[in-house]
Amino acid sequence: MMTSQAQPEKNSGKSVGAVRELSLSYRFVRWLKSLWSLNLLLGALSLGTILFIWEFAGPLGIPAIKDVPPPSSVIAAAMDLLVSEQYWTGWGLSFQRIGIGFLIAQMIGIPLGLIMAINRFSFGTIFPVIEILRPIPPVAWIPISIVFWPTREQSVVFIVFLGAFWIVLLNTIGGASQIDRRFKRAALSLGSTPKDLFWKIILPATIPSIVIGMAVGMGISWEMVVASEMIAGDTGLGYLLWQSFQIGAIAHVIVCMISIGIAGYFSSALIRALGGFATPWRRLH
Amino acid sequence: MMADIGELSIRNAGKIYDPEGIHLVALEDVSLEIKASEFCVVVGPSGCGKTTLLNAIAGFDQLTGGEILMDGKLLASPGKKLLPGPDRMVVFQHGALFPWKTVMWNVTCGPLKQGSMNLHTATEKARELLVRVGLHGIEDNFPEGLSGGQKRRVEIIRALMNDPKVLLLDEPFRALDALTKSVVQEHLLELFDFSPKTIFFITHDLEEAIFLADRVAVMTTRPGMIKKIVAVDIPRPRDYRVLTSNRFLELKAELGEAIHEEAKKAFEAGERELA
Repeated sequence: MMTSQAQPEKNSGKSVGAVRELSLSYRFVRWLKSLWSLNLLLGALSLGTILFIWEFAGPLGIPAIKDVPPPSSVIAAAMDLLVSEQYWTGWGLSFQRIGIGFLIAQMIGIPLGLIMAINRFSFGTIFPVIEILRPIPPVAWIPISIVFWPTREQSVVFIVFLGAFWIVLLNTIGGASQIDRRFKRAALSLGSTPKDLFWKIILPATIPSIVIGMAVGMGISWEMVVASEMIAGDTGLGYLLWQSFQIGAIAHVIVCMISIGIAGYFSSALIRALGGFATPWRRLH
Repeated sequence: MMADIGELSIRNAGKIYDPEGIHLVALEDVSLEIKASEFCVVVGPSGCGKTTLLNAIAGFDQLTGGEILMDGKLLASPGKKLLPGPDRMVVFQHGALFPWKTVMWNVTCGPLKQGSMNLHTATEKARELLVRVGLHGIEDNFPEGLSGGQKRRVEIIRALMNDPKVLLLDEPFRALDALTKSVVQEHLLELFDFSPKTIFFITHDLEEAIFLADRVAVMTTRPGMIKKIVAVDIPRPRDYRVLTSNRFLELKAELGEAIHEEAKKAFEAGERELA
């Protein structure tokens, strides 16, 4: 059976470990088929039921829900908002605040986390400060940041920054300090300099943790932008939501809520795509 | 044949972890001479200090007693600066291929970093060695896409690409199933016969030890010492038929007794520590 060579493995040649490329049309058909599944049916059914109950909660006298505007008036409010300029500038401004605050959080959090993971002295110096500041909810920073920052815009961006900063910092520290030492040892044997160790081992090994930190941080950023626009802003989706509430336009509030949900979904999808791009070796999983 | 390159001389090596505190004696007075191009296998019960010894040779960890020399050059002694390097390549117990790089990058990074080959030569050489162990068409894959047996072979090739004087293998085939293991073992022997190197191989699989080795050194349970050294006089090239030869069974019986004694001691010591 085994004549000093591994015949089966040698003969299989190219198929060893290689994944067959699927044609685009085949993948499209498969995708269409996957849409038509039992799960889809069940999902549509449950969503339909909820919409039905919601719509007729008033006439049926179902407690609590009956005071919420029904889907029909939410759709009417959506039609109203979708043509208003304030709504779309709100989208733009909220995204802009997320973009700036989140980006600054990454630009400071990732390098700081890496330094703290590598250098024991900087960890000892900075970590206690972080551990005192971190448990303070970013929302609690809103009054101070209004006082501290010259414009409301900057206050909002700062709160968004805080929302994303702690989580990416902690994830970076955690990821970089949990790298198995056998990778570093192997790299040293292969002739790595300390610079190689950082760029070729520590950084790539930490990227998956950084991506997780970014995904969670993006969620918190949206919470923070909405909260701080409600309190300190005069534009944005969060402000629009609050303003609609104050004038009693509850259907508009619901449209804003759904809009924020959609915005959050797209932001997460963006992070996922970025993460997939930055960690090609994990795409198989 | 390469003449006297990669001669290892381990003299009274000792290692005590946490000497001020728990004072765990991992190695005590280990002496072992490994000739150039010799395949030396160290067997012993778990926790007997085999890996500690390997780490000292590789330059990952310091000794607290004795010294280790390679070709007359001091590698390790108490207080000496750690010097890992491409002249002593390690194949790790749990594997240490860089998951974020392709197989080809992993295999060629050593010689490219050290400047001993250019990209073209390194790629050619890597292809040649990978084919020799039955791997082709996987160069652009990431390690996670490979099977356990493929990963081990890639890692051995990565080590050999650096043309090390000594190859250090720390229970490299432990996680493989029996069939894959026998195939990879034969590939290792084929590489060894093709280009002999000094090999320091750790295992606690006795059959593996005899099948591969020129000499088998049995280590005692903690504190680790060399209990017995047996030369394996089975001619090379060897294949699986060796496993049922009379000489193999004799050696197995001889070594088996020594190892069983130590395994029992290790087990009892473990019981004592738990009690």
